[in-house]
Amino acid sequence: MIRDNRSVKSLAAIAVFCLASLPLSAAAACELKLGMIGVMSGPAAQWGLAIKGAAELVAAEANKNGGLQVGNEKCKTSVVAYDGKYTAEGAAAGANYMVGQGIKFIIGPVGSPEITGLKPIANRNNLLVMGNGYAKDAIGPQWPLVFHNGPGPSGWADPIVRVAKTKFNIKKVVVIAPNDQGGTDIASVDAAAYKKNGIEAIEEYYQRGTTNFAPIVTRILNARPNAVDTASSPPGDAGVIIKQLRQAGFDGAIGRLGGPGTSEIARVAGGYDVLKNFYWFEPVYIDDKVREISKAYRDLLKAEPPENNLFFQWVGAARMVMKAISKAGTITDTKKVAEALRSLPVDDPNLGKGQWIGKEFFGINQELSLPFGVGMIVNGKELPVQRIAAATGK
Amino acid sequence: MEGFVTCGLIGISLGAQYALLALGFTLIFGILGVVNFAHGGFYVLGGYVAYAAVHYLGAPYVLAVIAAALASAVLGYVFELVLVERRVDDHHATLMLTLGLNLILGTGMLVIFGPESPQFTFPITGTLRSGGYYVPLANFVVLCTCLLAIGAVYLLMYRTDFGRALRALADDRQVAMAQGLRPRLLFPLAFALSTGLAGLTGALVTPILSLSPSIGDPVLATSFLIVILGGLGSIGGATAAAFIVGMVEAYSSVYLGGSKGALLLFVLVLVILVVRPSGLFGRDVRAA
Repeated sequence: MIRDNRSVKSLAAIAVFCLASLPLSAAAACELKLGMIGVMSGPAAQWGLAIKGAAELVAAEANKNGGLQVGNEKCKTSVVAYDGKYTAEGAAAGANYMVGQGIKFIIGPVGSPEITGLKPIANRNNLLVMGNGYAKDAIGPQWPLVFHNGPGPSGWADPIVRVAKTKFNIKKVVVIAPNDQGGTDIASVDAAAYKKNGIEAIEEYYQRGTTNFAPIVTRILNARPNAVDTASSPPGDAGVIIKQLRQAGFDGAIGRLGGPGTSEIARVAGGYDVLKNFYWFEPVYIDDKVREISKAYRDLLKAEPPENNLFFQWVGAARMVMKAISKAGTITDTKKVAEALRSLPVDDPNLGKGQWIGKEFFGINQELSLPFGVGMIVNGKELPVQRIAAATGK
Repeated sequence: MEGFVTCGLIGISLGAQYALLALGFTLIFGILGVVNFAHGGFYVLGGYVAYAAVHYLGAPYVLAVIAAALASAVLGYVFELVLVERRVDDHHATLMLTLGLNLILGTGMLVIFGPESPQFTFPITGTLRSGGYYVPLANFVVLCTCLLAIGAVYLLMYRTDFGRALRALADDRQVAMAQGLRPRLLFPLAFALSTGLAGLTGALVTPILSLSPSIGDPVLATSFLIVILGGLGSIGGATAAAFIVGMVEAYSSVYLGGSKGALLLFVLVLVILVVRPSGLFGRDVRAA
C-alpha cells in the first residue's frame, strides 16, 4: 500500500513537472547554429579568420532582424567555431565536434587537406558544407551536400595568367607549393594554365613545415625562370620564399595563383619593395559596394573585420546558405536546403551577380562564381585591382 | 660548381642554426635527463621578445637579441626551479610539464600578438656576391653569431668550473653529489642556459625567416631529430649532427627537390640509427 502511494506521488510529480515545462517547450526559441571550421592558427590563420568573421557577420545580420525567417519561425543564429589547423585530421575532428553539437550547416573549411578530411564525416552525417578547397576532387557528384564558396584555379588561373603574361612578359615559370594535396592539386592546375598560354612551366614541391627555403630557392634559380608562382603555399611560407628569392638575386615577377594573403606575404617578405613585381588572385573585386560589408561588420560586431579579402567571398557564400535555409523552411533537412541552394540565383547585394559553375571540371554545378580581380604590384607600387568577369569554368 | 659551393654555404648556415638549437636541447637531457618539449616554445618566445623590444620599445636589434636570450633564460630558470625540479626524475611528469609549457608559450604569443606573422626584418640587408656565389648579409651575420655562441657554449662547458660541474652531474649524479655538487643549484642554471640558447636562436633566426606563434613546432621536430641522430645528451654529437642535417638538407633539396630531399634526410637518419641505435656519439645507457 505504501509502495502504491509512493508510485502515485512519483507519477504526480512527473506529471506536474511535464505540465510545468510544457509552456517552456512551446515558447523555446528556434535556434540555428552555424558551424565554422577553418585554420585559425599558424601561417594560414588569415584564411580561417576570414571564414569566422564572415559567419559571425551573417549571423549578426540575421539576428538584427530578430532571427532568420525559417517557415513561420524566426531563428536566432549563433556561430560555433573550430580550428581545423589546416589539416585533414583537424577538420575531421571539427566535423565530429559539430555533429556532437547537433550542428547541420558548416561554413568552411578552407584548403584541400581540411576539406578532404571533413567530407566523409559530412556525408555520413548529412552535413551541408559551404567550403573551399582547390583540390581536383574538392566537390563532385559523390559529395552532393558539399559546395564551393568560389571557383578554384580551374576557373580563374587562365584569365590571370593571360593578364600577368602581358604585363611581365613571362616566358618560363616555376610553380612552387607544398607536396600534399593542398599544394599539388593547385600547382598542377596553375602549371597547366601557364602552358595553355605558351609559357614553359616547372612544378616544384616542398615538405609542409619547412622553415628555411634557401636550398629550394637555389633549386628554383637553377631552372632559370623569369617568374615564380607561389601557388597555394601558406602566406607565411610564401613570404619567406620571396624574401630568400630576392636575397638570392631573383629579379623576375612573382605570382600567387592560390589563396590570397598579400598583406601577410608582404609583412613576412619585408614589404612591397621586396615583392617588387607581384601578381595575385583577388577572390573579390573590391568596390564601394563591397566595402559596405566591412562597415556592416564594424557596426554589428563592433570590431575590425578580418583583413583578408577572402572574408568578403565567405560573406557571400554564408549569405547564400542562410537564404537557402530560409527558402527551404528547415534547419534540419540539409538535403532540402541543398536543393534550395542549387536553385537560388547567384546575386549578392554587395558582391554582384554571378553563376553556379563546376560541371566541366568537377562534374557538378556547385561552385559559386562571382566577379573577381587580379592584384598587381609593379616596381614596389600596388596598382588598382583589375576586375575580371565571373569565371565560367569553361 | 657555383651551385655546389652555394649549397655548401647554405648547409653550413643551416647547420649553425640547428646546432645552436640542438645544443640547448641536448644539454637539458644530458644534465637533467629531461626531454624539453618546450624547446620550440622558447624559440618562439625569443623571437617575440626581440620583436616586441624592437617594435614597441624602439630598442636596437642587438639589445633586443640580448633581452630575448635573457628573458628565455629567466623563464627557463624559474620553470625548472618551481616545477621541473620537484619531479626531475619522473619522466612522465617532466614530459607533461614541458609539453604544457610549450602549449602555454605558443598560445600566449597567439593571444598577445595574434595569429598572423608580424613584419620583423633583420636590420642588415643586402647580399655579398662574387661571380655566381652569394651569401645574404643577414645570414652571414647570423652564421657568425651562431658560431660564436656555439664556441662560447663549448668554452663554458669545457673550460669553466660551472661547465665541469654540469658535466659531472651528467656523467654520474650520485658521485657528483658526493663530491659536493648541488643539483638544486645547478639544474635551474643548466635549464636557463639551454632555454636562453633557444631564445637567442629565435631572436636571431626569425627576422631572416618568419615569426608566428606556431613556428616552434617544426623547430622542436628538427632539434629532436638532430639530438637523436647525434646521441641524446652528447654536445659533440648534437653539433656534428646539426651540420650533417644542414648539409644533407641543402644538397638533397637542391639536387633532388623538396620532397625527395626530406625523404632522403629521414632515410639517412633511419639508417644511422639502425647501425648505431644510440646515435652518432651517444652512450647506450645514460649514467645520470
